[in-house]
Amino acid sequence: MSEKDANPSAKDALVGGTLFGRWEKLRGREGTVVGITAILVAVFPYLFARAPVVSGFLQGYQSLATLILIWGIFAIGFDLLLGYTGLLSFGHAAFWGGAAYAAGIVAKNVSGDPIVMVVSGTLFAVLLAWVLGFLSLRRGGIYFSILTLAFAQMFYYMAASPLAFLTNGENGLTGVEVGSFLGVIHLEADVPSIGGMLLGTWLYAFVGVFFVGAVAVAYRILNSPYGMVFRAIRENEQRAEFVGLNVWRYKLMAFIISGGFAGVAGSLFTIHGAYVPLQSLFWTESGDIVVMTVLGGAGSMFGPVLGVGLYLYIENIVSTIQALTIPFTGIVLVRDFGFYWHLLLGVVFVAVVWVVPDGLWGILNRLRELAVDLGSKAAKRLRARSENGGGGQ
Amino acid sequence: MTLLETENLVKEFGGLVATDDVNLTVEEDERVSIIGPNGAGKSTLINLITRRLDPTSGDIRFKGESIVGLEPHQVVQRGVSKSFQTASIFPDLTVRENAEIAALAAERGAFGFEFLRHRDSLTDVHGVARDTLDSVGLLDRADTIATDLPYGDKRRLEIGIALASEPDLLLMDEPTAGMSPEETKSTVDLIERVKRDHGLTFVLVEHDMEIVFSISDRIVVLSRGGIIAEGTPDEIRGNEAVQEAYLGGVEL
Repeated sequence: MSEKDANPSAKDALVGGTLFGRWEKLRGREGTVVGITAILVAVFPYLFARAPVVSGFLQGYQSLATLILIWGIFAIGFDLLLGYTGLLSFGHAAFWGGAAYAAGIVAKNVSGDPIVMVVSGTLFAVLLAWVLGFLSLRRGGIYFSILTLAFAQMFYYMAASPLAFLTNGENGLTGVEVGSFLGVIHLEADVPSIGGMLLGTWLYAFVGVFFVGAVAVAYRILNSPYGMVFRAIRENEQRAEFVGLNVWRYKLMAFIISGGFAGVAGSLFTIHGAYVPLQSLFWTESGDIVVMTVLGGAGSMFGPVLGVGLYLYIENIVSTIQALTIPFTGIVLVRDFGFYWHLLLGVVFVAVVWVVPDGLWGILNRLRELAVDLGSKAAKRLRARSENGGGGQ
Repeated sequence: MTLLETENLVKEFGGLVATDDVNLTVEEDERVSIIGPNGAGKSTLINLITRRLDPTSGDIRFKGESIVGLEPHQVVQRGVSKSFQTASIFPDLTVRENAEIAALAAERGAFGFEFLRHRDSLTDVHGVARDTLDSVGLLDRADTIATDLPYGDKRRLEIGIALASEPDLLLMDEPTAGMSPEETKSTVDLIERVKRDHGLTFVLVEHDMEIVFSISDRIVVLSRGGIIAEGTPDEIRGNEAVQEAYLGGVEL
């Protein structure tokens, strides 16, 4: 055991001098995390949709980049509940779709200001999460999941018919007119000059700010007492209760917070599409967010965002591939390849969960550890060589 | 001062009377052991006091106030802490975090809204956690993931979590169950040191008679849910009813 304790400090001493070691120290700081997120958000649409070669290979497009960030916010919040608190909600479509409808209805009847839309959608989702959490968290485990599913489906059917005068029923909420940001900036317009090259549209910039904000807030929550309590509840709920924590209220807070993230994302979804499909309340949306989170790596901060990226990429781009050919030849492997995107996604999902249960993020982590190992070995060798050299003179 | 008292406490499971009209008092600074044959109702009694189970009738008072009707975490907040029979820890968290969770509950209450406050600023919580780990001898393992500890250390951590809740009364449910003789000895040393350093009142449920007789001020003997004898270790040692019920007449 003592060997294991001595190990990290020895490794620190070894790595400490190198650039990599300095990076390892900075890596955990809040400012670093948020700053790097902001940079990645800024270059992402360029690499994805406009950069020479890369974007040609990826075949990405601007609107999908925006959509990935929106679902990313949803997934970060969902993972606070699933990955950190250990609660599997199967009804988060209620908060995503509910916020989307709330934002759309406010836009149609009150104000199309994008800020007003996000605030009202989020507020609606938070209140709804409070009520549904209050009712669903009465039961644990699978019963909790089923209760959330049942409540969410209830909202789907309500939106489909009894509330059709508000929601426009099966057709979805059409005719949502999103106003300009602060009354001057049209979100569909391109950002001027270099900003336009990187970010593309103002809409992406608008969503990007919320995404970076979501990362900052989630990261802070995980480093607050809540982060610790959430993980304690996941690990051993009974013990958490018996150290004197009100487990029930903390679980409710986890549920409300994740509902709030879903609310921000859902409202942005309405702004993005200027339309709310009835589908957004359907249980498959709840399932999608579970799959995305687990695929990316539940219980990690950025893993779920990777899961979102891969999922939406397969759904929107791989699904358009007509025929899978061997590169640089005309030999067709699979005709109508895109048609099987669900199958492909399923295979990828099973493979990831089977081989690396901690998801795409787990793969990255393992690669990082490998790099640290190789780096420290190289540093050791370099030092040994320079010491030998010094001894010679 | 009387810290804990139960009054005509009864717990029935269907037709089975697991706790039969128990009147137990624990004074401040007292070390009380509860012994009894398997099925005597020792664990049931502990579970009633920690509010894991609802009593069928009777009352439980802590510091003079009834705690029947409180939630388990509220009982802990009043000052009753429990160490579990198994190593009930938070396995994937570090040893330090394990202690900090209990210290958080003790220092900051059962619930708070500080979800945007960085936990590095909670110096009081860090202090309590550090002191506790020091007193159970796990401070040098603070950054180890709890599940990587050997079994004996896990049990020490378990006791540490209970201590970090800063209890006035500590209930220990078989703290040496499943331990090797060396681990048992170091745990007994730990309990004696804690008793000396913290002046803690505790109630111990234990099978190992050597431990019970060496560290108790008073022993309560349960059989079939009821108290059949109580007194100092010497009084219990010579009590015929106890020998009859507990060991079938074997010399203690």
